[in-house]
Amino acid sequence: MSQLSVQSVVKRFGDLVVLDKFDLDVAKGEFIALLGPSGCGKSTLLRIIAGLERPNGGDLHIAGRSVTGLAPEHRNIALMFQSYALLPHMTVIENVRFPLRMRGGGDRETQRAKALEALALVKLDHLADRFPRQLSGGQQQRVALARSIVAEPDLLLLDEPLSNLDARLREDMQVELKRLHESLGLTTIFVTHDQSEALGLADRVILMNRGRIEQAGSPEDIYSRPRTVFAADFLGGANIIELDVQGSGETWHGTFADGTQVPLAHASDLTAGKRKFMLRKEAVVFSPDETMATVEGSIETQNYLGGQTRSLIKVGDIEIIALTDSDRTETGRHATRIGWRPEELIPLQDA
Amino acid sequence: MIGATPRWVLGATAFFLVAVGLFMLVPLLVVIASSLSSSEFLVFPPPGLSLRWYGEILGSDAYLNAGWTSLKLALGTVVLALALGTPAAIALTRFRFAGRAAIASVFLSPLILPSLIFAIGLLIVFSRYAAGPSFLGLVIGHTVITMPYVIRTVSANLADIDPNLDEAARVMGARWWQRYLLVILPQCRTGMAAGAFFAFNISFDDAVIALFMRAPGVETLPMRIYSTLEFSPDPSVAAVSTVMIAMTMLLVVLLNRVFGLSRIA
Repeated sequence: MSQLSVQSVVKRFGDLVVLDKFDLDVAKGEFIALLGPSGCGKSTLLRIIAGLERPNGGDLHIAGRSVTGLAPEHRNIALMFQSYALLPHMTVIENVRFPLRMRGGGDRETQRAKALEALALVKLDHLADRFPRQLSGGQQQRVALARSIVAEPDLLLLDEPLSNLDARLREDMQVELKRLHESLGLTTIFVTHDQSEALGLADRVILMNRGRIEQAGSPEDIYSRPRTVFAADFLGGANIIELDVQGSGETWHGTFADGTQVPLAHASDLTAGKRKFMLRKEAVVFSPDETMATVEGSIETQNYLGGQTRSLIKVGDIEIIALTDSDRTETGRHATRIGWRPEELIPLQDA
Repeated sequence: MIGATPRWVLGATAFFLVAVGLFMLVPLLVVIASSLSSSEFLVFPPPGLSLRWYGEILGSDAYLNAGWTSLKLALGTVVLALALGTPAAIALTRFRFAGRAAIASVFLSPLILPSLIFAIGLLIVFSRYAAGPSFLGLVIGHTVITMPYVIRTVSANLADIDPNLDEAARVMGARWWQRYLLVILPQCRTGMAAGAFFAFNISFDDAVIALFMRAPGVETLPMRIYSTLEFSPDPSVAAVSTVMIAMTMLLVVLLNRVFGLSRIA
């Protein structure tokens, strides 16, 4: 039995179709990322799951119960807002106690004890009697997180949970979220436009585009085997290269516009003709060995990034970006040979 | 930014600042000084100092009754203005409905409309449809002219709060009445306090509506001061005014203690 089941949900704002017969099943305890560019419908989907938005069609089940027409206050869920939405006139502990108070479990002291427990989980029990305005942004977010988990909701929803934090805090919070999920096992769905957050946190990434699922799968799967140009581009910004494909059986090769030929893997996905391929920037190496596909090119510009260096390499008319370890990078503008393992060229569907 | 503002502009600004400050403060000082006069007559500067006029007003039934009437009137006005103005402000800021802008301007019109015109209208209505002017009529009149202040201050308050609070409370399981009681109303506290302060001061200070709605046996403090000035001007008027000034300042200090003035003004 799935914890959340979204069945052909449709949402329109006027003529604009935001969700187009959307289906999604989430198992108990899963950690799901809804990933996509702004306007892809991910936030609307989250609001529909929370009950803050009414779908124009379709059905919604949470923990086996149909909730399609149910008001948010009657769904046993938690939603952490991007703005945290802490109640400014209540202390930290009263904020965390609020869901327990509303759902009416136990007396005041039991509720306070539970709230304090939730605060301890995010290591803020020592600030229980402060007011939200006396806390830093990162601390406020942890209060919001404690408030979201305190009532053991059927679903934990997070709206862009890391976007208001600076880079350092964001890393800490990623660790925190993962740790909390592993210890509490709450079914969690979060919305993000940042691919590294989605890949770093989720068990399953739902990549959305124009109100539909573009591709769904484990982070490794979706990153290394994107099916479409959109997926390849949105996840990590890969090189998209068009080749002329020829071959049969197990031996295939692709031809660049300037005539250079490279061997291709993934034989079962290939047909003869023009085809777009993805090549991850970090799959490109300098001084390739003989098992690799190689091309002649010239280094145009380079950006030193510390541990890695990004190089723009011209191969005929096309540009290939390589992201290589700095100690394995040739520097300076000059002609060179680059290469990659044949299976790194991933054939994509057009569209 | 060095030399961004010419010196003569800075000089002129300082001059006007001092001038405006003087025009606001000097009348208050004149009143306070006159109240300490030993003379029988309201003259400035006072020929000698004494506290006799404070004793005089505290021993005068006319002043004490008028003060009590004014206090009841002002408190009644505050209660009604808050009870009507706060929900109006909540509705006007939180909901989008047909005629919203029109209703907002009607509610705020007493700020622009001369109170004289309003007072005449009120008198006509009460003479025609009620048993003429009365204390209740005064409370109603003052509520109308002070409610816009409550609406303004509470609206300003509500505009500042996180719009997600209400939805967050819903998701946490709060029913509609719990959201009003536990989330929205507590957010209006500072605006309600500021609005109550304005309402109290305006009601306590009003002479125009009180004059038109003069009812037998109902005399407010400003009316008492007015008729004393008209018939037998003596420093008791200045003493009452000084008490009123002190009261206002006390209220400001109190509000500042509890809410912080910067969050109210």
